[in-house]
Amino acid sequence: MSDFIIHVTIMSGFYALLALSLNLQAGFGGLMNFGQIALFACGTYGAAIAFHFDFGAISGFVLAMFAAALLGWAFASFGRNLQADYWGIVTLALAEVIRIVTTNEDWLTGGAQGIGGIPPLYPGLDSQARQIAILVTVLALVVAAGLLCRHLIGGRYGLSIRMMREEPQLAASLGYDTIALKRQLMAASSVLAAVSGFLFAHYVSFVGPEQIDSSETFLIWAMIVVGGLGNNAGAIVGAFLLQFAFAFIPFVKDWIGPPTEYVAAGRLFLTGGGLIAFILFRQSGIVPERVGGRRYV
Amino acid sequence: MSDPVLTLEGVAKSFGANQVLANVGFRIGQGEVVGLLGPNGCGKSTLLNLVSGIFAPDAGTVVFNGEDITGRSMDRIARKGLVRTFQLPSMPRRMTVAELLYGAAARRAGFRSLFRREVDDRAEVDALLDDLALSHVRHLPAASLSGGQKKLLSIALALRASPEMICLDEPTAGVHPNLRQRMIGLLRRINAARITLLIVEHDMHFIRELCSRCVVMDRGAVIADCRPSELTSNEQVVEAYLGNARQKRAMA
Amino acid sequence: MFQFLVDVLMRACDLMLVAIGMSAVYSLMKFPNIALVQYAATGGVLAIALQKAGVPVGVAIIFAVVLTGLLAVILNEFLFNRMLKIGSSTAMIGSLAVSMVFSAAFLVTVGPNPSRFALPVSRPIRILDARITEPQLLGFAIVAAAIGIFAFLYFRTDLGRCMRATSTNEVLADATGIDTGRMKTIIVLISGVMAALGGVAIALKGEVDSQVGMDLLLPVFASAILGGLGNPFGAIAGALLISAAETVVTAVNFGPLMGEVAAFLPVAYASAISFLLLVAALLWRPRGLFVSEVKRV
Repeated sequence: MSDFIIHVTIMSGFYALLALSLNLQAGFGGLMNFGQIALFACGTYGAAIAFHFDFGAISGFVLAMFAAALLGWAFASFGRNLQADYWGIVTLALAEVIRIVTTNEDWLTGGAQGIGGIPPLYPGLDSQARQIAILVTVLALVVAAGLLCRHLIGGRYGLSIRMMREEPQLAASLGYDTIALKRQLMAASSVLAAVSGFLFAHYVSFVGPEQIDSSETFLIWAMIVVGGLGNNAGAIVGAFLLQFAFAFIPFVKDWIGPPTEYVAAGRLFLTGGGLIAFILFRQSGIVPERVGGRRYV
Repeated sequence: MSDPVLTLEGVAKSFGANQVLANVGFRIGQGEVVGLLGPNGCGKSTLLNLVSGIFAPDAGTVVFNGEDITGRSMDRIARKGLVRTFQLPSMPRRMTVAELLYGAAARRAGFRSLFRREVDDRAEVDALLDDLALSHVRHLPAASLSGGQKKLLSIALALRASPEMICLDEPTAGVHPNLRQRMIGLLRRINAARITLLIVEHDMHFIRELCSRCVVMDRGAVIADCRPSELTSNEQVVEAYLGNARQKRAMA
Repeated sequence: MFQFLVDVLMRACDLMLVAIGMSAVYSLMKFPNIALVQYAATGGVLAIALQKAGVPVGVAIIFAVVLTGLLAVILNEFLFNRMLKIGSSTAMIGSLAVSMVFSAAFLVTVGPNPSRFALPVSRPIRILDARITEPQLLGFAIVAAAIGIFAFLYFRTDLGRCMRATSTNEVLADATGIDTGRMKTIIVLISGVMAALGGVAIALKGEVDSQVGMDLLLPVFASAILGGLGNPFGAIAGALLISAAETVVTAVNFGPLMGEVAAFLPVAYASAISFLLLVAALLWRPRGLFVSEVKRV
């Protein structure tokens, strides 16, 4: 049981990084990114491709970060005049195209089969110690990323982003280049998402296109809405909450006894229902965003 | 005029079949306070929008500090030092007045601003809030201010963006007379710091208090460029403002 | 050649009604309602289920479609209107959440396996050099009839005039005495019915599974946006264009270009093409191909 809980915690950590990243974009920057999982894919496939072609893990990391920054930058550059919802659809469509290409270009990505056998993190340790080491690493990363995001949001850069989001014309009249700001925000948060992906690839040792389905993006969205849009701690809480809830659905299923597809249905129902409930009854989520931080008083 | 700050030459703009501006040209020197006047529909706001980069002219040039800024985007022009305010200022709902004032100066943004400490600016922001009598609302969301307060705030924000020139679009419109005097004081102090001002306005008292020079427009063209005291003796100006009234009386 | 045209038309029929529904309801609701594609799935799934329960096909279809329309109205009244008050982005996320709940419901009731109508097996008919099956013809007939009736309603009746007025400018329509509340309900009902009919047509021609709704999402969006959101009949052209692109992309033999006898793009790239067209439409022609409606996206 404790192994299972460690595993769920590690997975929650990966999702927490993704949630922090999306929270920066959507909750903070107002960028409705529905293609978040494609940025995660830069991480996973960066690791996988580097392994597949024998480039080594460091090259894989560099490749992943570079690809993610580039893709994030590209997302932000598309459609400067598009309203948020429609930009969201563009990102969704692009992420789906990426997934389709990934599924079909076997020579590069291993196609639908994916790429397996990716070497684990901390190869020198035995499996028990390795799990603990990975757990500590991931949790440390989550804390570090959370602090970094908080510093970003609470500082000068945060002010510029918030002005850009709420009153873009005012921001422009004061000299803010809103496109540049969006690009920077997307590039930075994409790198965070790819870090999660890179480590994920080396944890589960396998990378495949079903991991980057759009339903994963929707799940991350649920996490940040439940946790409170715009709130970093909330994003982390939302990630852990939903992941743990999901992890225990199979147990409930075993206990009650419905067929297997009920597990998938259970997850969907939890995610969708949870989102609806939070939108209607507590629009600010579990941990609401503050107006007026402590630094600029 | 030695090295004007702003030069307009041959500026023209049409919206569809409607020619709003036709061959507009004038210069503004460093440190001047120029009023831009004219009856409704003469093209003042369009001209301001054009100069500040909201849209490009169909013809003509706009030169700022020796640099051609015709058709550039608003944020680029603002970064060069030409900032503007809006007639109906829209303020953020989820930022406080203080945050907005801090944020207005972070415009050389990007990651370099990550490392600037907010403490550097505190004195300046505090002073501005005192000047505007907005200290007591510094914690409130900027959108909750009254219309007049918002207009004062927008001038302060423009000031925070390190401008060389500020263009104001009807700053007193909808502002309580009490606040107008405060605004005059603020603008005088801003001008004393060598910042050039171009003010689109209707309020003659305001103009007389602040402006050394008036450019008057009618139907898309400049019809007068004189001192405020000379306005009432200028026949064309009088005709432009009152001409319609005479016509209406004739028809009645 | 004619087979190609038939294929394009059949695929377009899949998309047409749902796209019309989406376009019609967008101008009213001002947000892209993701749940609409699930109404299509509901129509198909419900009709099949009713037939299995012993109801004759025709009656089953009518019941399914009407029930789905009513469901659309109920969801709109109790969920989407409230979400829209918070914001259009929130409503879009909310509609996503609702689709997830639908997916869960499908998994639980229908199961992951596809289901089909119990229709008598018949041999395909030959028209010119193309093969068409009876169900395909039936599906086409339903789509054509639905479009015809809707067009008559929309352009030739008082009700249609009121609907158009409400869609174009609700405040003004209200001021001229039109009961906009009732109009909105009617438009939502009709769009739900159209979507459900579209789902029935799809079900008739083949099979439906729990994924059929979400699979429709991006192509339907693409069709509706290309046709111009708010211009329901433009969606017809949009659907034809998307369908043609999908069919062409996988039918063209790139072999000669690459120095081989035969080289085809994988079938999955058909959807990739429609997604890319969607992106292109949003970036370059967000008002649709027919610039008569002034709708900002």
